[in-house]
Amino acid sequence: MNPITPIVHGLKITLSHLFMKPVTLQYPDERPKVAERFRGLHALKVSHNNAKCVACYLCPTVCPAKCITVEAGEDANHNKYAAKYEIDMLRCIFCGYCVEACPVDAIKMTGEFELANYSRDNFIYTKERLLEK
Amino acid sequence: MVNLTIDDKQVTAPKNATIYDAAKLNGIKIPILCHDSKLKPFGACRMCLVEVEQMKGRQIPACTTPITEGMIIRTATPDIIKARKMVLELLLLNHPIDCPVCDKAGDCDLQNLTYEYEVNANRFADAKFNHVIDYNNPLIERDMNRCVLCGKCARICDEIVSFGALTFMDRGIETKIACEFEAPLNCEFCGSCVSVCPVGSLLARPFKFKARFWALTNQKTVCSYCGTGCNLTLGVKDNKVLTTVYDENQGFHKGQLCCRGRFGYQFINSERRLTTPLVRKNGTLVETTWDEAIEVIAAKMKTAGASTAALATPRITNEELILFKELMETVGSNNYDHSAGYAHAALTKGFVQSLGVAASPASILDVQKTDLLLVIKTDTYETHPVVGFEINMAVKNKEVKLNILSDKRGKLSKLPNAKTLIHVPGTEIAVINALAKVIVDEKLADGTAASVPGFAELEKALAAFTPDAVAAQCGLTAADIKQLATDYAKAEKALILFPVGLPYPGHNEDLASALANLAILTGKLGKEGCGVLCMAEKNNSQGAVDMGFYSTAGMDAGKIIDGCASGSVKTLFIAGENPVVSYPDHTKIAAALDKVDFLVVADLFMTETAAMADVVLPACSFAEKEGTFTSVDRRVQHIKPAIRKIGQCRSDFEIFGALITKLGGKPSATPAKTFEAISSSVAGYAGMSYASLGETGAYAAVSVKPSFVVPKTMSLASESGKLALVTGSALYHSGTMSQYGEGPMYVCPEGYVELSRNDASKMKIAENDLVIVTSSKGSIKLKAKISMRMPQGVLFAPYHFSETSINRICSGAPVTWVSLSK
Repeated sequence: MNPITPIVHGLKITLSHLFMKPVTLQYPDERPKVAERFRGLHALKVSHNNAKCVACYLCPTVCPAKCITVEAGEDANHNKYAAKYEIDMLRCIFCGYCVEACPVDAIKMTGEFELANYSRDNFIYTKERLLEK
Repeated sequence: MVNLTIDDKQVTAPKNATIYDAAKLNGIKIPILCHDSKLKPFGACRMCLVEVEQMKGRQIPACTTPITEGMIIRTATPDIIKARKMVLELLLLNHPIDCPVCDKAGDCDLQNLTYEYEVNANRFADAKFNHVIDYNNPLIERDMNRCVLCGKCARICDEIVSFGALTFMDRGIETKIACEFEAPLNCEFCGSCVSVCPVGSLLARPFKFKARFWALTNQKTVCSYCGTGCNLTLGVKDNKVLTTVYDENQGFHKGQLCCRGRFGYQFINSERRLTTPLVRKNGTLVETTWDEAIEVIAAKMKTAGASTAALATPRITNEELILFKELMETVGSNNYDHSAGYAHAALTKGFVQSLGVAASPASILDVQKTDLLLVIKTDTYETHPVVGFEINMAVKNKEVKLNILSDKRGKLSKLPNAKTLIHVPGTEIAVINALAKVIVDEKLADGTAASVPGFAELEKALAAFTPDAVAAQCGLTAADIKQLATDYAKAEKALILFPVGLPYPGHNEDLASALANLAILTGKLGKEGCGVLCMAEKNNSQGAVDMGFYSTAGMDAGKIIDGCASGSVKTLFIAGENPVVSYPDHTKIAAALDKVDFLVVADLFMTETAAMADVVLPACSFAEKEGTFTSVDRRVQHIKPAIRKIGQCRSDFEIFGALITKLGGKPSATPAKTFEAISSSVAGYAGMSYASLGETGAYAAVSVKPSFVVPKTMSLASESGKLALVTGSALYHSGTMSQYGEGPMYVCPEGYVELSRNDASKMKIAENDLVIVTSSKGSIKLKAKISMRMPQGVLFAPYHFSETSINRICSGAPVTWVSLSK
């Protein structure tokens, strides 16, 4: 084979890309459009001013990364609620099993993906930080 | 045995088995909700339907149908599965299906079956119940909305616990489980109903919402309260014991537990546990290192030498007791003892003289196999509740005759056909001697009795104990005594039970000998269902006796205390005991411990005794160490750690080991090695090893060499106008340790004095009034509890409580004469 042919072939592909719409997003000036089923930061759903979570422990049980810590508490009406609900985002693999396991539809995953932070402690998302805004 | 076919498998099963039992025995699983191996068949849930070919393929309940020869049974035909699915649909019709918030989820029979049978829709629809949930007591929550009406709770409360707190109420669709008059639950809180509930209707509140069942690691162990030696499963999560888990296949008692066993585990992870060694500097206890603590103690023990003394609690393991003895030998002292020196005298003196062995010649299993039970003091139920359950079952199911000889009535007196003879406190030995006298006089004695050494002396000594003479002083009638003696002697098998322990100073060597005389006289010894069972108070009381941890050559506990006061004991090492609260004569004990030069206390908590110590060592609870416990009937059981050691705690084994090393000795490296030494040196333990003990444990053999001993009777100087105070154990407590278990403290948080209605009305005392109880030793303020069970002129008080320690007014006499004032 002529040794020039593959080079020309390659350059042809390169040249064709010059005339295509660029894939690169000029982040952070440009924001990506997050897909509806994107699995980003978790949020605890709120209903009647209370977290819907009933602390059934199914999410920590199913979590493959063991990043969820739940502690149940008993409120004045003897009902169960999550006295502590923490997700360690450094461990989380964003698999979405917690959402799938939840029997009361209390947890969802949002489009929020900018989770960078300065200290490790800040990656522990407490119940207050996780509550749906 | 009966031959039958289950699911095309040829099997055999005992004649009295039901289809369910036969299937279970042969490894065939039939789903069921209303069955427990301890309970009688009931047939409530209809889940166990099977087809029997001989019954024309009808569906019949397996749990209530007895097997017959040649039965051909099918347990899982498509028709049966369809029927079971419908049963589940109907059960789920009214069930709230609130599994996410129900603590039973994961351990719920209904949930498991729903999953197994894939019931994911319901063809029927109905309103859910809206029963009020009973939160009135701190231990058991009752949510009748979840109930499937299997009746297990009501049945276990009736058949085994014999309390009868729960029952079915109303009819048809309105049926529910309730207490009398729909009142809140107020029972003895053994939690048996919680353990058998197949759904989340009955839940243990101390464990409520703490963890899910699947997150728990279960560790089998042995209960550390009383001497029954119940097997226990601890539910552990994150190095914390969170609950006790029911296992119906565990132990002779099949998982049945009492209030303290089931709800009293919180002391293990209590916030109040000691976690660092403390040493007294300038009058206050300050934290120190183990090295320093060990060094200080070793130096003091070395200088004290033979004037060192040791008191141990019979709650520590056999291995630790042996090592403690070795430590004392290393320092050259033989002053060691346990349980105030008298609580074990029935075994170490009484049985040794009468039977030639310091152990009971009977086992707890004999309770169900005997024909007649003679129970000394109704407290048998309070000290060892699970033995009490065995008595309940024996009386109710096996028609065992129950005779009680006591100074007060108790729960056992309420059993069907129970005969209770109430005698004047302190006269029990005289009454027992009178029984022996009747047996000898009426020629009811066994033929072999006359040849037993000491017969002639006994016969002579009994001359003074004619039924008429004894009846006059003990408050019984001569006819009663004669009747009891005849019943006992004529029964084919008869078993005597009596509790011993710190609150029973009167249950001494003489009582043991007197009872042994009865058994020897009638030949009721060494046979199944016969004998005398001495029920020692603590979980390893029998072990402490077997290991020889009591004074033989040196000072006993009483003399050690006196020695502390007089200065002849320079260094006292107390492992686990709390003499300031639990030993009689508080003032004397406190003064003696205050006086002793150097006091070391190794304990789990800052007890009243530890607070007086010069060095306090944080010890480990039973859940953090390995070793063996020996129950009252000499069942040796192996315990393994359930959690890691808390803080800097060390087991007593490690503490004694470190001290022996420091003092130049060579301690055994592991508990297993020590147990090897035990099995080769202690009589009856031969051939045992941790491996051979396994989960069930093994009985150490007891060989008896009977001889008659003349028991001394107590001299009773009754004081006119005064009331007789007897001490004892409360049902919810064991020793002083149960004070640190939350469960028992919820139900019984403080000391009280129980008095009869007549006395109360005479003195115008109402329930819960604060009364001042005064004896010659001092006075104490206690809440009054008025009960039907007390005879007039007799008071009862439990001894467990630090703040209201009854030992402030008791001196260690069997009966304390007191006056009451408001």
